[in-house]
Amino acid sequence: MKIKDGIRAGFIALGILIYLDLIGLPKTFGSSMVVTFAVIVFLFSLFSLRTKPAEAPAPLPSVLVNGLIIGVITGLGFALITFGFASLQAQDVKVTDVFAQISHENIEALTGVDKVALREGQSVVPGLTKLAGYFILAGVLGGVITQFPASKVLHIGDEEKRSSARYWLMLALPFLLFAFFLALRIEGVDIGGSEENSFGLVLIYACIAAALFAVREVKAGVHKIGFSALIVALVLVIPQLTDLKQNAILGAVMIFVIMGIGLNIVVGFAGLLDLGYVAFFAVGAYTYALISSPESYIVVNLPWFEGLNFWAGLPIAVLLGAAAGIMLGIPVLRMRGDYLAIVTLGFGEIIRLLLLNLRDYTGGPGGILEIPSPNLFGLDLGNPKGILYLGMAFAVIVTFFTIRLRDSSLGRAWVALREDEDVAEAMGINLVAIKLMAFASGAAFAALGGTLYAARQVNIFPDNFALDVSINVLSLIIIGGIGSIEGVVLGSIALIGLPEILRSVDEYRIVAFGALLVIMMILRPEGFLPSTRRARELHEADLDSPAEFEG
Amino acid sequence: MAMLEVKNIHTYYGNIHALKGVSLHVDQGEIVTLIGANGAGKTTTLRTISGLLKPRQGTIFLNGDDLTKYPDHEIVYQGIAMVPEGRGVFSRLTVLENIELGAYSRSDRGEIEANTQRVFQMFPRLEERAKQVAGTLSGGEQQMLATGRALMANPKILLMDEPSMGLAPILVEGVFDTIVEINKEGTTILLVEQNALMALQVADRGYVIQTGEIVLNDTAENLRRNPEVQSAYLGIN
Repeated sequence: MKIKDGIRAGFIALGILIYLDLIGLPKTFGSSMVVTFAVIVFLFSLFSLRTKPAEAPAPLPSVLVNGLIIGVITGLGFALITFGFASLQAQDVKVTDVFAQISHENIEALTGVDKVALREGQSVVPGLTKLAGYFILAGVLGGVITQFPASKVLHIGDEEKRSSARYWLMLALPFLLFAFFLALRIEGVDIGGSEENSFGLVLIYACIAAALFAVREVKAGVHKIGFSALIVALVLVIPQLTDLKQNAILGAVMIFVIMGIGLNIVVGFAGLLDLGYVAFFAVGAYTYALISSPESYIVVNLPWFEGLNFWAGLPIAVLLGAAAGIMLGIPVLRMRGDYLAIVTLGFGEIIRLLLLNLRDYTGGPGGILEIPSPNLFGLDLGNPKGILYLGMAFAVIVTFFTIRLRDSSLGRAWVALREDEDVAEAMGINLVAIKLMAFASGAAFAALGGTLYAARQVNIFPDNFALDVSINVLSLIIIGGIGSIEGVVLGSIALIGLPEILRSVDEYRIVAFGALLVIMMILRPEGFLPSTRRARELHEADLDSPAEFEG
Repeated sequence: MAMLEVKNIHTYYGNIHALKGVSLHVDQGEIVTLIGANGAGKTTTLRTISGLLKPRQGTIFLNGDDLTKYPDHEIVYQGIAMVPEGRGVFSRLTVLENIELGAYSRSDRGEIEANTQRVFQMFPRLEERAKQVAGTLSGGEQQMLATGRALMANPKILLMDEPSMGLAPILVEGVFDTIVEINKEGTTILLVEQNALMALQVADRGYVIQTGEIVLNDTAENLRRNPEVQSAYLGIN
């Protein structure tokens, strides 16, 4: 255990805390957020300082020093930033113009000093000292815990005996809490998204803890069904806890998750760089719009056709999306690398220009309006919460399909294709078929996202389908880790959350992406949550280089 | 009847006439070698047989079945596997993943498993390194992997392109021992080599190719004694 590791973990934890601060968690959850932040620091310290089951724990002084470093970095760093914000607000600077979520409520939640007191000159230092103290304590505590043999449970090891009961308990926890929470709701107790919502936080803790635990178990190759059940539980719980605006943002995140997973098949698995991915998103959205909106060309001109509902329109839009994927795929079959990227880029623009110029059919720049929202057994899903539920459900389905595809022989063939086309062909892989499969499935997922997008927006315009969508989707899979499905989810949350943080500089988002991508490529080229294979590829240089002339 | 019968094939790279009517045949159970200088058309011949290049003219028969009528990727299903030049392992995949990809054309799981075990038996080194990334193997190990991967397709005939290229002299001998061993287990082999001396020692028959044409065709022993071959390819004056 080196000091360097502690410093690194400290800064990563600080980054996460700042991100959570900027997206407005303290405002939503009130003063209990300080404790939450401390718990995050504690977990970080514990996870970064723990030792493998077979190893002896690092000596106490070493983990104490590292825990202290983590605590001090996060505590001082976070306190300084909050102090800065508070000072600005004390002088009536409108911080919310730049950081939309850093309001008085945020400062009050973190320091206990409210708007009026702040203006009157009450110091935030005592509050922040307490906060920093908590963080330092949490960091040190995390280090100390590593000294107990029980902390080794955090590791996956073949030799470790896993207790099923413990596992199922962890899994059942969120379900139980969810039931309890529902019961409270029914009783009329307001617990969602309000100030001082410590209960909601406890619930989130439990879910996250159970999720972490379950991921660990699944990585060790056990309890797949339980893991699926857990995801379903998370999907059910989260939208109940968040407020309208957060639901709307999360809904957008889900649309990007669906698209990211689709593009990940094309770029990550098969290695075909597609820069015009937005085309399929547009095909899905416009197909659904054309066959559903009472204002659309088709519905207006066919007297007997009243327009389809969401569930009838969805499969048609997805199928047409897949067909568009194949249509693009056929002419580019023989292209590789840069040429492929340029042609797909053009394809994306062609679709947008068609939408813009086929005025009679697509409404031109006026778009298509009054697209019907989805309904489920009479339940209107046309609100942010409904769209979020739907988006999560689709994301889970798409993820399931993608995992199955990845682990099938088709998935292996894609990897071989990415590696070496000629050798892959010599292995008996039908390159034409698998390339078209990659394009078609990627495009189908984009069309699914597009349909959901159209239903969410109600009105769509060609401008919604510009190049920046392709770039965003590509960025999020690069940041998450190309080829990794978890990475797509993380990347979406990070990138779609960013504009929310940088609301006032929304137009410069692309610049922020650019900077982020450059930094990522330098520091962590494989992304945040890379697939094991990808990580291996990019760190080949770290392994012993192949020795050509020895046995 | 010959197992593999190549008749008068002409292959082009764009306008370059690379093979000018190459004919050769390989009988069941033989090791046949194709020797020649750089650029003579050895690799082109193999790539044409395995379907990666299409001949403009000529026919290729495997057990009486015309191979040129199949799409490229289906050639391997007919019983032809290739160990490509420069080994061509999927360097970012693990050894085991490479081997599994070799059996891509097959679906009989039990057989594939048995075949994997056979490959591991032949190359214990690969089993030791099953989870290692192929790119980190040494040249000799990569050659083993490429060979093992080709064997996973359970081919009737194995095409080997320069298996000794870039290997230390001490390893070359091992490569040729392997070739003989594979042949003894019943796989017919067409071997392309620059190391004519070694190739002619293990082969039953040989062809000499020069600027896209077969110029000599004899038993390996006769070729070894042929003064022209000796001076041009064996370095004996």
